[in-house]
Amino acid sequence: MFAVETKKLIKKYKEKTAVNGINLSINSGEIYALLGVNGAGKTTTIRMLTCLSTPTDGECFVYGKNCRLQADEVKKIVGISPQDTAVAENLTVYENLEFVCGIYGYSNEKTKEFCGRMIKLFSLEEYKKSRAKTLSGGWKRKLSIAMALIGQPKVLFLDEPTLGLDVLARRELWGVIEKLKGETTIVLTTHYMEEAEQLSDRIGIMIDGELKAEGTLQELEKLFVRIAEKEGKR
Amino acid sequence: MNRTFAFSLRNLKELLREPLSYIFCLGFPLVMLVVMTMINDSIPKEAHMTIFRIDNLSGGIAVFGLTFLMLFVCLTVSKDRSGAFLMRLYATPMTSGNFILGYIMPTLLLAVVQMIVTFIVSLIIAQIKGIELGIGGLLLSIVTLVPTVIIFISLGLLFGTLFNDKAAPGICSVIISLASFLGGIWFDVDGVGGALKKICDILPFVHSVKTARLTTALQFNDFFTHFIITIVYAVAITALSIIVFKNKMKADLG
Repeated sequence: MFAVETKKLIKKYKEKTAVNGINLSINSGEIYALLGVNGAGKTTTIRMLTCLSTPTDGECFVYGKNCRLQADEVKKIVGISPQDTAVAENLTVYENLEFVCGIYGYSNEKTKEFCGRMIKLFSLEEYKKSRAKTLSGGWKRKLSIAMALIGQPKVLFLDEPTLGLDVLARRELWGVIEKLKGETTIVLTTHYMEEAEQLSDRIGIMIDGELKAEGTLQELEKLFVRIAEKEGKR
Repeated sequence: MNRTFAFSLRNLKELLREPLSYIFCLGFPLVMLVVMTMINDSIPKEAHMTIFRIDNLSGGIAVFGLTFLMLFVCLTVSKDRSGAFLMRLYATPMTSGNFILGYIMPTLLLAVVQMIVTFIVSLIIAQIKGIELGIGGLLLSIVTLVPTVIIFISLGLLFGTLFNDKAAPGICSVIISLASFLGGIWFDVDGVGGALKKICDILPFVHSVKTARLTTALQFNDFFTHFIITIVYAVAITALSIIVFKNKMKADLG
């Protein structure tokens, strides 16, 4: 069974087709990068896979559960860190984590255990009593990802996780994402080729709502060379 | 229930950590109590105007304070909606019921605290001025004003759902002005009469103020008409805000 699977997935907004019949098969434990420019349909795809948007046509599944028909089941096994940093600004770092534990109905002991684990994993110790609104963009993004992991998702969706961060913060966040490798399946969107190269096992390139190419970095490089050679002969 | 509690706690912390909420929800009504008492002192006795006397004023100011809770519910909801925070929560097992109760419950608690503080200050002023103001009537007012609290919280939820965080405060300011003016807090609606009185009687605000005033005075002859009207408005506005919130959530997930 694939961790994530889409079959001819389509999303239309009135006249505009945001996602046009994409087929994805992502294996368990894999880091998969959806690469594309703004408006390519990456976020819309993630929204459908996290039940935040209903497909116009086609189907999408997370661990065999249909996102359209079994949304409640899917929501139990996915986590999302949205493009905009979605944290409660007036709550401290620890309270934000505690809050998400409450949403998942964790006991006091489990809450302490999970908050402690996330604070350690994301090196948030120094900031755990700081209000979220006082954090820099990079730390906020870390907190956002930590919050997404609280629900122990089988699949974690990271929408443009390093957008707007400086080079140092970006590299630091890459380190965190790499630490998660193998523990959970990660689907991330990005428009940085470098980021997709650094983090992912496989890359899917989206253009105008369509999945134009897909494969490992090496496979894509070979494909690009072939295309370049073909164009050169013309 | 855990989810509702967790979300309520988060909303309570957000409200308590917003300095403006203290200024508007506690400071401003208390200042108005003092200022209006001072104005009352300046009104000649021959004018027979008792609207600003503390036994009349306390109920009106309690309702006036509640209008600001609407503003803060509205701001919390609209800010949550304009950022990606609600989006994140939509992707968790939280239901629309968890969201709605999570916004209502902490504000209800704050409303009770706000009314207690307003009535304590009113009692102090009454003591200083030698005016009779019973604790029993004030305590009962906290109960009879619950439908009014629900009206303002639901209006906050409704406007926060319909408008973004830039437009919402403006809309709420209009409602606050309308509620205090047409609610008869600052003038005697019955004494004015005509079309203005008819408009006031159609809206819930004057009934909220009269409910509060009649309860603090422990006068129950006309009380039930006004009280029942506030209950009917509370049920209707709450139902409307729930429908609008659920529809908006559905549209967001469309």
